[in-house]
Amino acid sequence: MHEFLTAGIIGISLGAQYALLALGFTLIFGILGVINFAHGGFYALGGYVAYAAVSQAGLPFPLAVLVAVVATAALGALYERFLIERLVDDHLATMMLTLGLYLVISTSLLAVFGPQSPEFSFPVKGTLRAGTLYLPLENLVVLAVCAAAIGGLWLLIYRTDFGRALRALADDRRVAMTQGMRPGLLFPLAFGLATGLAGLTGALVTPILALSPSAGDPVLVTSFLTVILGGLGSIAGAVVAALIVGFVEAYASVYLGGSTGALILFVTVLVILLARPTGLFGREIRGA
Amino acid sequence: MPGIAKRSLAASAFALGLVLAGGAAAQTACEIKLGALGPMSGPAAQWGLAMLGAAELAAAEANARGGLQVGSQRCSVSVLSYDTRYTAEGAAAGVNNLASQGVRFIIGPVGSPEVTGAKPVATRHRLLMFANSYAKNAIGPQWPLVFHLGPGPSEWAPPIVRLAKEQFGMRSVAIVAPNDQGGTDIASVDAEVYRRHGIAATEEYYQRGTTNFAPIVTRLLASRPDVVDTASSPPGDAGLIIRQLRQAGFTGPIGRLGGPGTEEIIRVAGGIDVVRNFYWYEVAPTEDPRVRAISDEYRRLLNREPPENTNMWLWVVGARMTLRAIERAGTATDTGRVAAALRELPVEDPNLGRGAWTGQSFFGINQELSLPFGMGMILDGRMVGVRRIDVSPQ
Repeated sequence: MHEFLTAGIIGISLGAQYALLALGFTLIFGILGVINFAHGGFYALGGYVAYAAVSQAGLPFPLAVLVAVVATAALGALYERFLIERLVDDHLATMMLTLGLYLVISTSLLAVFGPQSPEFSFPVKGTLRAGTLYLPLENLVVLAVCAAAIGGLWLLIYRTDFGRALRALADDRRVAMTQGMRPGLLFPLAFGLATGLAGLTGALVTPILALSPSAGDPVLVTSFLTVILGGLGSIAGAVVAALIVGFVEAYASVYLGGSTGALILFVTVLVILLARPTGLFGREIRGA
Repeated sequence: MPGIAKRSLAASAFALGLVLAGGAAAQTACEIKLGALGPMSGPAAQWGLAMLGAAELAAAEANARGGLQVGSQRCSVSVLSYDTRYTAEGAAAGVNNLASQGVRFIIGPVGSPEVTGAKPVATRHRLLMFANSYAKNAIGPQWPLVFHLGPGPSEWAPPIVRLAKEQFGMRSVAIVAPNDQGGTDIASVDAEVYRRHGIAATEEYYQRGTTNFAPIVTRLLASRPDVVDTASSPPGDAGLIIRQLRQAGFTGPIGRLGGPGTEEIIRVAGGIDVVRNFYWYEVAPTEDPRVRAISDEYRRLLNREPPENTNMWLWVVGARMTLRAIERAGTATDTGRVAAALRELPVEDPNLGRGAWTGQSFFGINQELSLPFGMGMILDGRMVGVRRIDVSPQ
């Protein structure tokens, strides 16, 4: 029973982290139709910007996280505006552009910070304990931020004019443009919002896990898996899928081991996709 | 037309002759290209960069002496590197790439998957390779040009386990490592050594690329081990495993019978107080001033800071020995003769001291360069130091 409950707590923590990661990834596909292979790079970059802000600039951690969000959002917006925007309808070209950006980011981080993980720890220490159950306080903070980010994003997309404009562009760009929507302005903002979310996740999660130039490698795989399961482009799907991935990973790893656990996760996703090839919330995939 | 064709042919032959002659003239300035094959990016980058640093240092030392005397020629030494990203396919591609650039001697690769991928290709090109890795088949009689920078776990695990048992008195250990050859080959040898010392051992493997070890930690602790050993998990993974073990309430000692990286492990774990009680295999007696002098030599010759990972101190011996064997064999192209010279060289390094050729009993071939190694220990959050352990010849 102890293992069962512990696995449940771990599953929620994992799911929250995966949801934060998947949101940005699915947002870019949902609005621009671009699969952002640089997503993991923005995650790692967010971690390093926060690390540099704390260790070199001496900023308090919350401010460092804010700096990381702004930096990754700005880089994402500029990259979209000056490179992706020109080829936004060419799926192969945008894949290569984002993959290239990922290689540039990870190699630059390696050159600047070196291959070793730096000492970068979460400022909130301590663990809540109830008998043999435990929950690190840092995970609780990430859970809270994740819930706030998901709620904030939902409000932004579904309750503001900016969100309506983005959804209109995702739905039918040509019609939206005749109504006065400006993709040249809105697409970079959407891309920046998504990369800022990746930066936020990196800044929050890398002090809990580990920071290294290659920290983005597994992030890309997990994000891709989650959004495929949830339905590419669906915000609700990304959140639900992230929780499923988190719980399956936690329970399978605890009861079957690390190797078999990974296998079970992929088999579960495969079975769900066989039943619903468009993902759990596939109907919300962009139509443009 | 036939006349024109003949004249064209003659002119072409003359031009070709000039080019070849020019090439021959250029070759009188003899250059030996040393390949450095290993992970230069990704989670295992620090191991590969330590190896690259060692190859560059050995080349710089040789060049500072005016180059290598190879037969009647004085040859400079250069280093060409290739990033394998710690994969078998990357290593195989790297060997082809280096061979195409005229490399005949390779320092590396570092890890078991890479060595498995590189060996067949290197053998096809007849390249001499000085590899690391803890693979059970890292070297063998069927790979006469592949040498192993050792010793491997079969050599160093027994004395370390004996000393750890004396210190901590453990009766059970849970070993955790990645589920590929880089993890399973060493964890299974470690487990066998623990069992031979009367310690019950369980093995737990995880998918390489795992970012959160909380589920693995829960599973590890279910067997209530006295000690958890992180074996050859990359240092970043090992640090995170330790941190999450402590968060889960585990207070026992942590072992590490695997690759080096103690400084990074302590950083990622959250400090030496979190690590608290720790014993590990260290590739060299790192507190010996003669060993540390390698880093000073690196700064002096290459004018930059040496790689942090202590593996560099071991790799430099392999690179130096390879260059000495080239000089002794008097050839920079016949790798068979260089391999024969290498086998005859006494294992003695100005910095690491005296070692021995080993490997006959475990690998079936005496091509493992075994040098003194160390056992490090942290007790109650205090660095106790690295104890020197000498190897015996086979």
